[in-house]
Amino acid sequence: MALTQVSSNKCAGGFQKVFEHDSTELKCKMKFAVFLPPKAETGKCPVFYWLSGLTCTEQNFITKAGSQLAAAEHGIIIVAPDTSPRGCSIEGEDETWDFGTGAGFYVDATQDPWKTNYRMYSYVTEELPKLINSNFPTDPDRMSISGHSMGGHGALICALKNPGKYKAYDATVLAGSYSGPQLDILIDQGRDDQFLSASQLLPDNLISVCSEKKIPVVFRLQPGYDHSYFFIYSFMNDHIKHHAKYLNA
Amino acid sequence: MELDDIRGGRLDVISEEGEHQDISRESSTMEACYVVPEPGGRTFQRFSVNTNESLRFEPCEDSCPSPTAAEDDVFEKGEFEGEIIPVRNQLQGKVAEMENFAGHLEEIFLTVEENFGRQEQHLEQHYNDVLQTLSQRYDERATGLQEEKKSKLESLYGQLLVCGQALDASKVLIETAQEIYRCQDKRLFLKTVMPIIKRVEEFAKEDIDLTLATSLEFSTPLADLTDVKTMMDSINIVPAPSAPVINPQLPNSATQTSLHVCWSLFSDDTVEYYELYYRPVLEDTPADSTCAPQESKVKVKETHCTVTDLLPNAQYELWVTATNTTGISPASEKALYMTVPSPPVIKQRECSSCPEAALIRWESGNTNPVDSYTVELSETGTVGTESNITESIVAVPTCQCLIQLQAGRQYFISVRAVNIGGPSERSDAITISTTGTFFYLLEDTAHPCLSMSEDGFTIFYGDEELPITAMAFEDNTFTRCVAILGDLIPVRGRHYWEVEVDEDTEFRVGVAYEDTERDSYLGANSSSWCMRHIRTPSRHKYEFLHNGWSPDLRITVHPVRIGVALDYDRGTLSFFNAHLEQHLHTFRCHFQSYVHPCFSLDNPGALTVHNGIAAPDYTVT
Repeated sequence: MALTQVSSNKCAGGFQKVFEHDSTELKCKMKFAVFLPPKAETGKCPVFYWLSGLTCTEQNFITKAGSQLAAAEHGIIIVAPDTSPRGCSIEGEDETWDFGTGAGFYVDATQDPWKTNYRMYSYVTEELPKLINSNFPTDPDRMSISGHSMGGHGALICALKNPGKYKAYDATVLAGSYSGPQLDILIDQGRDDQFLSASQLLPDNLISVCSEKKIPVVFRLQPGYDHSYFFIYSFMNDHIKHHAKYLNA
Repeated sequence: MELDDIRGGRLDVISEEGEHQDISRESSTMEACYVVPEPGGRTFQRFSVNTNESLRFEPCEDSCPSPTAAEDDVFEKGEFEGEIIPVRNQLQGKVAEMENFAGHLEEIFLTVEENFGRQEQHLEQHYNDVLQTLSQRYDERATGLQEEKKSKLESLYGQLLVCGQALDASKVLIETAQEIYRCQDKRLFLKTVMPIIKRVEEFAKEDIDLTLATSLEFSTPLADLTDVKTMMDSINIVPAPSAPVINPQLPNSATQTSLHVCWSLFSDDTVEYYELYYRPVLEDTPADSTCAPQESKVKVKETHCTVTDLLPNAQYELWVTATNTTGISPASEKALYMTVPSPPVIKQRECSSCPEAALIRWESGNTNPVDSYTVELSETGTVGTESNITESIVAVPTCQCLIQLQAGRQYFISVRAVNIGGPSERSDAITISTTGTFFYLLEDTAHPCLSMSEDGFTIFYGDEELPITAMAFEDNTFTRCVAILGDLIPVRGRHYWEVEVDEDTEFRVGVAYEDTERDSYLGANSSSWCMRHIRTPSRHKYEFLHNGWSPDLRITVHPVRIGVALDYDRGTLSFFNAHLEQHLHTFRCHFQSYVHPCFSLDNPGALTVHNGIAAPDYTVT
């Protein structure tokens, strides 16, 4: 459970840090990014977990998404883990960009040779929160989850499978048969997202299921925006504010 | 206070009974004069009133003859002193009363002197007048007599002359006759004798008037001294009073239907009673006097009177005369008094409020204009009873007032109309609650197809198709969009209200400038912002419209209770699903002027506005 600080930069009045540790779930060294707002120096803060998309590491979000200012304003700690175990030397893990390395999909693999290391679901929902809560000034009762693309899927499934664990939820993927405390889901989708036009993203399905199941969702189609971090950056504030409403209530 | 009272009054004397064994003998000369021979040596204080000497105190000697223990001494001395003090106080009181009385007497003395002076002056004047008149009369009569004498003498003298002439004529005749008689010439004699004889005969025939031209007596007409008599009589009678002086209207002496009028006497006249006249001052007095307002009259004995049965907010002309046995005084100057106005009537449906302020509108309650209005407010106590906190806003020029209040309280607000006569009675109060924002809908903006519930908060768009001709469009009504505006209080800051709809109602809710185009649809122009719900057979669609443009949104749970939060300072208009506390959308716009809530129904259905709700925490950005 020892943490090693890899980097620390003063940012938005707080600190953007990167840590490394030996993960018990993933059986390898894992890095994660942590943003500590100014409020963390004097008191406990709620935690916002961000799950990045395919091919990302812990770096993309902290350098491109522009989340630090809003997080500092609302007094929220943002934790952004990596997207998969690394350096496990599993055969085939680097063959495609959307499977294996950088494509953990936030699920626990059930088959060999993946099932030993590829346990991102457990990592994100169990090990990482425990680690964060024991090493940082967090309020363990207040956490929320969010993400982009594959990370959006991850956020949703984590939330839906753990009713009541996360105070606020954010997803870009199918909702399941959820029954638990009321959700309040905010989704932004770039209209010019190539994955949308390629029908790899199917928001309509999510919407119709949520309409049927009466899961409150506000889905916004943003004209001109694509899939990139430029898009993420543009609406990050709205999302942090959406989370802050519940985290700081 | 009468002198007798002092004489007869008794100053309380310390009761001797039960105090000492040495009871003193009371003096036989009573009249509140007590002398105490005290064998024991202890003397009470005594007060002597009604003796020639001034109040006399006989000192108290402190020696104590009590045969019992020494403590008795102290004890009794203490009591003794205790009883002296009230008596001394009483005495002091009496002294003060007498000093007052003396002062009063002095005043009376001065007044008597004054009155005497006045009476003396009056008397002198009166008698002088009489004397003057009498001497005038004497002069007239004397002159009259003189003239009479002159005329009599003149006529007599005239007569004398005539006689003299007659005498002379006779003489001449006789001489002529004698001459002729003596004439030797017979011829001449015969010639002249006959005419002479004729002349003499004629002359002899003439009657001689021997009566006196005038009488010897002087006429003595009766002297007409009636006016002198009157004057002398009037010395004895009291003169008619001089005109009284009517006072200007005292503030707060009038009511809606009555006036309290005061006047005073110009001088020390004796007056039996007064008569107060009054008549209303009409706006347009017609040229002919046939329609002049009626004069009314009241007879009073005092120098004041309350005239009742008057019209409110009306001007009256008043004057007063004083009457005594001699007659009626001239009328006083005419004074203008005004009755107080009728109380205004607060227009409940035109009042609105928010946590920091309330806008109250009312009807004047008077046909003629008043000077100003006074708004009064008091905070209700927690039990709902009126507390003592009262605030008044005076000199309100028009029939509305924007009042600053404190959030989260309840107030009673009422209005009075004010004119020169004073303030009217309080109007019926309106209760204002500064929880949340409260407003009514502006009925005169409603599209003819909209009808409203009795409480004014639900609007209906009926199923029946009204023919165009049956629709009464006014200047201010929406003509295409079946919409209505709300009367939001024009105060910056934050406002929040909720709108209740059902599953299928197609509606638009939001805000618009007061002058938003009435022939346009809400959200289709730059002067309105709204959330729009469209119902298709398969799903719900939502638009957030301004200038005809909306972002592309999907909402999965249809909101049946929509929270609308307006923030002028931040320039935001936000919509929420109030049941889920879910944020739906926020417009960001810098409002150039105050906006009004707007509501429309795009298909037959109903919509209810809920306000007076404190903005929930989740709506505050």
